[in-house]
Amino acid sequence: MRFVDEFRDAELGRAVAGEILATVEPGRHYKVMEVCGGHTHSIYKYGVDDLLPANVELVHGPGCPVCVIPMGRVDDGIAIARRPEVIFTCFGDMMRVPGSEGSLLDAKAQGADVRMVYSPLDALRLARENPDREVVFFAIGFETTAPSTALTLKRARAEGVRNFSCMCSHVTIVPPLRALLDSPDLRLDGFIGPGHVSTVVGALPFEFIPRDYGKPVVIAGFEPLDILQAIQMILRQLAEGRREVENQYRRVVPYEGNPRALEVMAEVFELRPHFEWRGLGFISQSGLRLSDAYADLDAELRFSVPGVRVADPKACQCGEVLKGVIKPWECKVFGTACTPERPIGTCMVSSEGACAAYYNFGRFAREREVV
Amino acid sequence: MTRQPDPAGHCGADHCITCADEGVPMRVSRLDAASGLAVCVDEAGRPATIETGLVAELAAGDTVLVHAGVALVRLTPQEAPA
Repeated sequence: MRFVDEFRDAELGRAVAGEILATVEPGRHYKVMEVCGGHTHSIYKYGVDDLLPANVELVHGPGCPVCVIPMGRVDDGIAIARRPEVIFTCFGDMMRVPGSEGSLLDAKAQGADVRMVYSPLDALRLARENPDREVVFFAIGFETTAPSTALTLKRARAEGVRNFSCMCSHVTIVPPLRALLDSPDLRLDGFIGPGHVSTVVGALPFEFIPRDYGKPVVIAGFEPLDILQAIQMILRQLAEGRREVENQYRRVVPYEGNPRALEVMAEVFELRPHFEWRGLGFISQSGLRLSDAYADLDAELRFSVPGVRVADPKACQCGEVLKGVIKPWECKVFGTACTPERPIGTCMVSSEGACAAYYNFGRFAREREVV
Repeated sequence: MTRQPDPAGHCGADHCITCADEGVPMRVSRLDAASGLAVCVDEAGRPATIETGLVAELAAGDTVLVHAGVALVRLTPQEAPA
């Protein structure tokens, strides 16, 4: 298949790694951020970073939807889930994210009817099958996932399913990138742009990065060769003095994105004035809520939620990991008190979280590899 | 050993397909334009019902990228870098 297999070819991978080596300036240190958690996962799954020269450093970005959900938001979900009339549905990883008094999985163990779904459409089906229950979908994710939620809400409306509602925690990718670029403690040379978010939003929303911040962006696929090629394209831009948005993932990403998806999102959602990101704090206009036209399907209006802001556990350094300021193994609790089985921070929960990727693929410390 | 996520809805050993920015190529097998749904199959031949309303002029045999039960885009073959 010309969509996956060719992009895992080890020989081609080594060839691109050779080009990368030939492109870097010796003595210059390059920091490239992969925005998306899917890229972080692939980099460690396939050992992409082992093919890079020592002076090319990958910094892991905030693009893991589970990782950025703050504790207070989990508590709100649990408050709804504990209601006897409610079937509370969410994606698998979201069930394990710790709130201030346990996770949704803990709430389930204590009797709440919490169920894992693979698509919001499955939650809507549950609502049809259980007309005497209230089915709530905990919607998380970036612009990749938001159209799926929007279509589901439109279907619920069209079919007159009244016992379905949505707790919307969708987020958008550009505001946290801008926050990172404005952050004084992070010096980056370029970005590996999020592949699947870009199928929806296109490349246009990233053009401010070369224009306003003078840094290259290359939108990339998720196979090892995609990522290597994107790194090479970034390094080549730097070497040639170009700064632009390039699309490595042409087989999937149209430069203009998916106008239909953007239209559906604009109908169903509106921007929240502020949304809290785990570790990054409140970021203006970075989260979505249901528009007035869909307010009757908004679970936060249908049920009362505490809406309390909860500080992250003191030991947890997810915020610094999400900003790329520290590597996962530099966190005080990484791999000891915080593991995928018993996560303290969200970055250890999702397989796309930087900490889980390091832990699962044996990257417990950089020093060990160098020695 | 990891295995590929199953777009019909089963998480892989290390990946939950809908949890994040994950997309799976699937081939359109049977299309029902009226309902906006299609039966699509993944590389292993596993079928799933997929929402197709976001992709214009879809036809059986096309390959789409599926995320959280929704086809996001029709895929265009691309050569690997040589």
